[in-house]
Formats: sequence, structure tokens, C-alpha cells
Amino acid sequence: MTAGKDGVMASAEAVPLRRWLPRVPDRFAALGAVLLVLVVLSAILAPWLAPYPMGELRPLEQLRPPSGAHWFGTDQVGRDVFSQILYGGRTSLFIAVAVLGVSAVVGVTLGVVAGYAGGWLRDVIMRVTDVFLAFPALLLSLAMAVVLQPSVNTVVLAIAVTWWPWYTRLAASMAASIATRSYVDAARCLGVPAPLIILRHVLPNSLTPVLVQLSLDAGGVILTSAALSYLGLGAQEPTAEWGLMVQQGQTLFTTNWWVVTFPGLAILVTAFAFNVLGEGLRNALDPRSGTARVVK
Amino acid sequence: MIEVRDLRVRYGGRLVADVPELDVGAGECVAIVGESGSGKSTTLLSLLGLTPDAEISGQVRVCGVEVLTASPRRLREIRGARVALVMQSPQAALSPATRLGVLMRRALKLHGVGNGSAKGSAEIMAEAVAAVMLDPEILTRYPHEVSGGQAQRFALALAIALGAEVILADEPTSALDVTVQAEVVGVLRRLRAERGLALLLVSHDLALVSTIADRVLVMKDGAVVESGPAARVLAEPRHPYTRELLEAVLSVPGASL
Amino acid sequence: MILRAERVTLGYGRRPVVHEVTLDITEGGVGLIGESGSGKTTLARAFLGLLTPMSGNIWYGDQTLKKADLRKFRKDVQPVFQAEALDPRMRIGTSIAEALPRGSRPGAKQRVAELLEQVGLDPGLAARRPHQLSGGQRQRVVIARALAVDPRLLILDEPTSALDVTVQARILDLLASLDAERLLITHNLAVVERLCRTSHVLFAGRVVESGPTRDLLANPAHPYTRALRDAVPRLGGPPPEATGRAEAVPAGTGCPFRLRCPLAVPECERAPEPRDVESRQVACHRAEDVLAGASGGPVT
Repeated sequence: MTAGKDGVMASAEAVPLRRWLPRVPDRFAALGAVLLVLVVLSAILAPWLAPYPMGELRPLEQLRPPSGAHWFGTDQVGRDVFSQILYGGRTSLFIAVAVLGVSAVVGVTLGVVAGYAGGWLRDVIMRVTDVFLAFPALLLSLAMAVVLQPSVNTVVLAIAVTWWPWYTRLAASMAASIATRSYVDAARCLGVPAPLIILRHVLPNSLTPVLVQLSLDAGGVILTSAALSYLGLGAQEPTAEWGLMVQQGQTLFTTNWWVVTFPGLAILVTAFAFNVLGEGLRNALDPRSGTARVVK
Repeated sequence: MIEVRDLRVRYGGRLVADVPELDVGAGECVAIVGESGSGKSTTLLSLLGLTPDAEISGQVRVCGVEVLTASPRRLREIRGARVALVMQSPQAALSPATRLGVLMRRALKLHGVGNGSAKGSAEIMAEAVAAVMLDPEILTRYPHEVSGGQAQRFALALAIALGAEVILADEPTSALDVTVQAEVVGVLRRLRAERGLALLLVSHDLALVSTIADRVLVMKDGAVVESGPAARVLAEPRHPYTRELLEAVLSVPGASL
Repeated sequence: MILRAERVTLGYGRRPVVHEVTLDITEGGVGLIGESGSGKTTLARAFLGLLTPMSGNIWYGDQTLKKADLRKFRKDVQPVFQAEALDPRMRIGTSIAEALPRGSRPGAKQRVAELLEQVGLDPGLAARRPHQLSGGQRQRVVIARALAVDPRLLILDEPTSALDVTVQARILDLLASLDAERLLITHNLAVVERLCRTSHVLFAGRVVESGPTRDLLANPAHPYTRALRDAVPRLGGPPPEATGRAEAVPAGTGCPFRLRCPLAVPECERAPEPRDVESRQVACHRAEDVLAGASGGPVT
């Protein structure tokens, strides 16, 4: 009750909705969005923005430090690091989008079905999900990448296999709660078939947290794919990829820091941007989380 | 205990509550009646300075403290200790993993009641729990283990233990079953009569209000449309809206008692 | 009589919350009165075919609901839930159109407009979303959607309890004006009195008293019905009565109300069978004493 007196308002009627929304636009989220737009644009526009073509070797310009001609310097085979990062962004973003796309489609589909149907169907789906969750994600990805040929597609497959169960869980718990809403009962009483109920009511109303989770996860996927590439199990030459770049430059860190540092920074900035954007989305879409609700 | 003059609460320039006069003395019960959006809850919250985004003008004195100009420290002194706020669903405001007894003891300590001695606070707690007609055993339970009516009475017990002189209650019974509501109302009446507590009640239920309040303020769209002694307002409503509210009260046949 | 529950036991998982309830939905409106935890909403869900009884049967005409033609049943029986029974993301028009039979799409817009007018709303609201409407308007939309299939029976689950009193009065007028039969689930005695000729009082998953609403409220034969009635505050009346220990948990055997009952006697350790007393059925050993106005008695 002490908390109540200090003012956590339980009465919805009196408190204007305005108060539950972030008072100032979330500055971190805005920063994340701006960074992300920059990253995506630079990846899309890489062929026009990059001062040098992808993978162009300049044997005479090996390991040059950052300069006017090479903003981020060059690597041990004379490639322009800045250009490689722009092109590498395409790979990394493709991996993120592909992994999350596959995971979300598979995971959410299974999840809403499990959550809405309940009973034995739910049990079967959730047990299968649990089996996948029981494997350590990175280890499973590693094993898959070893068995299959290392490539960008392998990375996508390997990460997606360990990623989708989280979406199943999330969607299932959302769908289970939506399934008890009276508008779903009303639809059932109208004889609307279950698949239509899921499609019309359960799915759209379960998507908000999934959306938030997607943007929170994007950074994680990029980090994981970078880790796989770093271990030599992901993207292969001549594909430009950030993780691969870090791996190839790792021995040079003490002598030629720029070869490793800039791709590392690219990974960090992108992951960070996705994360703060996700946090911002979560706060904006779910007024009950975060600090927006506490009135002081 | 409560004196309000020309209180105006605005959100973003929009006037949501306009109360020219509101007084509640010790042992009195005043009710603010209105429907959603009438500004009744906003009025109540502004008495504790709990409307942070609002532009407020006027004069609000609660337990001798000028609320609108008081320092945050001064406000904290009256909040919780001398003035208790009782909400519609108190369970939501109780920390779920803490036994009610522990919670009450902490609150006493925080406000320096019972001189910090375990024996002193135990006595105060036992007395407060008895005053709201709860079994002392309730103190060993967790918030989710008590019913809505018990939680509401515990909130009142906490107020008594902390030595509250004023109780501000926002729809304290509208989430409760009628038989439970009757008990909570009974407790409120007793506290008022035996301890001289000042009670400001916000409610949409005119019938309920008529059984407990001395005076009534009827609010609509932020304005007080009628106020006066409860008996007079109910018997000879002067404002058409009060009449509409009275007519909307459905009666249950069968004289009680 | 469209629906009938026969010794229906209902529950979630293995725990029953409604015990062997027998109840006819007769003409003139039927009220199901109970407080939270009484099992009234669970019973309503069974009548809607949303919950299968653990034992006993719901009869639809001369067939049990398990065997009945569900398509026909869905057209005959429709729910009116509280105002939040609208998909927050759907436009009002789409929500209502969902109720229209498939294949009637061309005339759907016209029909939606008619339905909105029938419940006293501006047809222009069809393009809005639920959060843009007031509580009373939303409740009318919920009613309009139920009416779309022209049902014979409406199952109303607390249709006005979230509304302001002046709005509630208008919604009750609307409900009273509809042709369909009614089963009304509520804790509000005044609303039952307004809409239902017959009522059943539910306590701890059992029907404790059934009969004409007027008799039931004017002169209750079960101590719980009386406690319920006396707890309702009246305009200018005395403070509401709190009888018995309201928080006591009903025991597994014997009369479920005996721990709260001011009239309880040792005999109440034995569960009372429902029996006819004057115009109603009561499950209470001391029904005659209650009718005679007894208020005290040994409290166990």
C-alpha cells in the first residue's frame, strides 16, 4: 500500500492516457532508428557509396593506415576497409533479415496454433520446441556449419534452427492470452472456423511483442553470425562480411588496429541500434513496462 | 481537515476539474459523485499533489499543509501517514512477495510509528487489524492469498496503524461483490464514528453514497453542478443532471429490514 | 424453451466449479445471479457451447449439444459480452460483418448500417475502431453484432456492469426492447429485476434458490438471497447490511453457505436438496424460517 500512496495509479479512468506514454520521445530509440537507417542505406547504396569496388586487391597498398584516400585504411591484401564494410553490411543485414524472417514465420505460425488450440496439439508443439531449446544455440549452429559447407546460407540456416523456438514460445503465450478474450469467444459463438479466428483475431493481436522481439534480436543475430564467420564457419572469401573481416584481421590488432576495429565497430553500432530501437518500441507499445507508468 | 478553494486542474490547457469549494472536517464524510470523465478522481488525486502533468491553481489545504505550494518533503509527510489513499484495487499496489504483516511493519518503521520498538508496533498492528474486523491471522498471508474485500480492509488497517486522520477513497468498493461492499462500508462508517476520521469518497454509485455521506458534490465534465447536504440533494435535486443520475439508479424491490 | 441444463457439472481441469446444476431457460427472461466465484460465467460458457460439461448435459431442443447441429445452434444462441468484446484492431463495420452469413457480402454494408441503426447508433460509426467509441457505444455494437444472425436467445454476461449509470439505463431499455429470449448473467439484482421474469441464485457453484424474480427479491427463501438483497445500498436507505462472515470459505460437504449463514444449525452439515417452497425451489433446511423473517439463530 505504501507504493499505492506514492502513486502507482490503478484507476484508469482518471489518469489521462497521455501520462502512460513516454513524456519526451525516447531519445535513445530515436538515435537507434537514425543509426539503423544509415546502416541500411549504406548497405543498399554500397555500390555507389564505396570508393573502391568490392574485393578489389591493391597489392601495393597493403595495411595503409586511415587516410584521405582510404578512410578506414586497407587490410593485408590491400582492400579498402571502408568499402568492405559497406559491402559487408549487405551480408550481415541479409543474414539478420533472413534468419529473423524464417524464425518469425515458422515460430509465430506454430506458436499461435499452439496457443490458440491448447490441449494435445499445444503439448506436441511445445515439446518439439523445448527439444530445440535444449541445445546450446551456438553449439548447434557450430555443428550444423561443420556438417554443411560453410557459406552465408549455412549461417542463416544454422542460426534460424536455434532461433525460431523463442518465437514459438512468445507467440504461444500471447495467443493463449488472446484466446481467452471475449472477442475471440464471440467469434467462436458465431461459428467462425478456428483457422479464420487465428488469422483474423489471434495473429494480429499477438504481433506487437513479436515485432519488438524482432528488433531486439536483430543485433543478437548479427553478433552470432559474426561469431560463426569469425570461427571460419560462415561467409567465405570473397564475400565481404563483418565477422569474417574481424577474423582475418585479428592477428594484426596490435600492429594495424584499423583492420579489426572498424568492422568490429560496425557490428557493435548495428547491434546497439537494433537494441535501443527495440527497447523504445517496447516502451511505446506496452505502457505497462518500463518506467513510464510510475507517477512520482 | 480538507479545505479546497477555487481548485482548477488543467491538462494541456483543458479544464478537467473545477471545484470552487470543498471542505471535509474531522468525523465528516463528503462524497464526490460523477460518471467517467467528470473529474472526480482528478480532484481527489490533486489533494495529494498526485497530478504531476497538470497545471493546478487555487488553494488546497490538507491537514494544515498547503499542498499546491508544499515542498516534496512536506508532501511526503502527509502522504501515507496522515492522509491515506484507498484505491479501487489495493492488491495491485501490494508487493506480491511480501507478507502483509511484514509490509505493515515496514510502513510503520518508515513513518517512525511505534517508536521503532517491536512490541510497540505489534500492539499498534493488532489494534488496527481489529478495528477493520480482520482476523490477525491475515498478517501472515501474502497479498494473493487474500480476497478483494480483505485487501481493501487491510489498506484501511494500514491507514489506521499509521495514524491517518484523513482517508481519500477512490471507488473503494466498486470492484467488490455487494456483500463484501457492505462490509467495507460498515468498516468505513465505524472508523469515522469511533476515530473521527475525515472521509472523502469518490464514487459513481449514488445509492451507496446516500447511505454514508453527510454532504455530496455532483460533478459533470469537470464542473461541480450541485452540492449540499446528502439528504437535501437526494430528496430535492436542483440540477437536471443530478435528477438524471437519481432516476438512473435502479431499485431492488423488497424493503430491507 | 431453447436450452436446458440437466445436472451439469463444469470445471477447468479436474476441479469442478459448478455442481450438478439443472436449469431451464424459460420465456420472459432468465436471470443467473451470483457474486465472483459463484460459477455464473462458467455456466454461461457451457450454454454457449464454449465449455463441455464434465458430466450432465446441455439440451438444445430435444438433442444434447454434443449431437446437435452446431450451425443451427450458433444462429439461435448468441452472446452479448461486456463492451471489450470487440477486436481492438478491427473496424466496427468489419466486426459486425463477421457475424453475417458468408455469401451475403454484397449487401453486407447495407446490413451493417441497418444493425447499427437498430441499436441506436449512427451508421457512420462503422468506419471507426473500438477505442474511438464510448463504452456505451461499444456495448451497443456488441449487441448489434449478436443481432446480426437474428438469434432466438441472447446470453448476456454482465452487459452493463462496466458502464456509467445513466448509460446503463439506456442500454437496459434497448435490451428490454429486443425480441429475443434472454439469459442474463449478473451480480446486479436491480438489472435482473428489470430484464428477467425468472431468476436463479448461484452460490459456490450451486443453485440455492430459483423462482419468479419478484418473489425472490421481495421475500427471499434462502438466507444467501436475503444477504445479497440486503447488501444492496438503497437511495436514502439505511446502510447496507453485512450479514455473517463474508470471507468464510464454503466447505466441501454440507450446505456451502453454512459457514456464513446466520441461521445455520447442525442439520446444515448435511447438504440440503432443492425443494419446492411456495413459488420457488430452495436448497435450504430452514427456508420456511427465512420466509417467516427469522434473522438470528445459533451460528455454528
